[in-house]
Amino acid sequence: METPQQVQRRELPDGLFLEAPGHESYLAQIRTLVADLARKVGFDNQEIAQIEIAVGEACSNVIKHAYAIDKEWSWRQRDPQIRLHVRSENDRLVIEINDHGQRFDFGSYHPAEIDHRLRDMNPGGYGIAIIRRFMDEVQYSSNDQTGNTLRMVKYLKKS
Amino acid sequence: MKDFQIEKDSRGPVQIIRLNGSLDMYSFPRLESQLNALFRSGQCLVILDCHNLDYIGSAGLGALIALAKQARELNGDIRLLNLPERIYKIIELLGFTKVLQVFDTEEAALASFQTN
Repeated sequence: METPQQVQRRELPDGLFLEAPGHESYLAQIRTLVADLARKVGFDNQEIAQIEIAVGEACSNVIKHAYAIDKEWSWRQRDPQIRLHVRSENDRLVIEINDHGQRFDFGSYHPAEIDHRLRDMNPGGYGIAIIRRFMDEVQYSSNDQTGNTLRMVKYLKKS
Repeated sequence: MKDFQIEKDSRGPVQIIRLNGSLDMYSFPRLESQLNALFRSGQCLVILDCHNLDYIGSAGLGALIALAKQARELNGDIRLLNLPERIYKIIELLGFTKVLQVFDTEEAALASFQTN
């Protein structure tokens, strides 16, 4: 089992930039750093838990699918890194997760409802449904220059 | 941030597995292999004590579904105990509490096996 090193982090005026190898041993560090920023921005514990699981699912998908070792991907010559730009913009937290792995047809992917999967005791396929359930906006883009980016937004509740 | 750790205990025929840390894509294979070993030895009544669980993602939840299904096929089951509130709310919102029974006390979790 690989021993995780530190996730590279850079403080930005509006948030945080993180970079880590596309390996599952880095997931806990990534989730913790994003959760810490969400706490500073003013989200409550339940919202932080939702942001944490959405980030965990998004990064897991990069490792499991975009950088799957049994697939070819267009940018194979590069290191399989995950990059996150997490920033606070007025009343919302914006999280952009970037990879240079296999692109994914996010718009056309509509997995069965979580309830249906649970009824069948299906062990997989919950990740994207969880992201869509807990984040207010989710967009995916891909191009040859910048790779694949999943942009997720969570709004602060108005008090 | 804690490493994922598993401690084992038992109450008669019921195995109690205490989970510490994060149950995610990185750690869930360890839980799977522990429970599969129990099932192979015919021990299919399992309580997962989640008091020290920090996080569970879809890989962990999916593993719990698969393990509960296996246990039920062997006339056993899995119960969740002492889920931290933030994790309970997440899995309740997602609907997982409809297929995985959750208890607040070890006594209640143990008693649920006797009534089945």
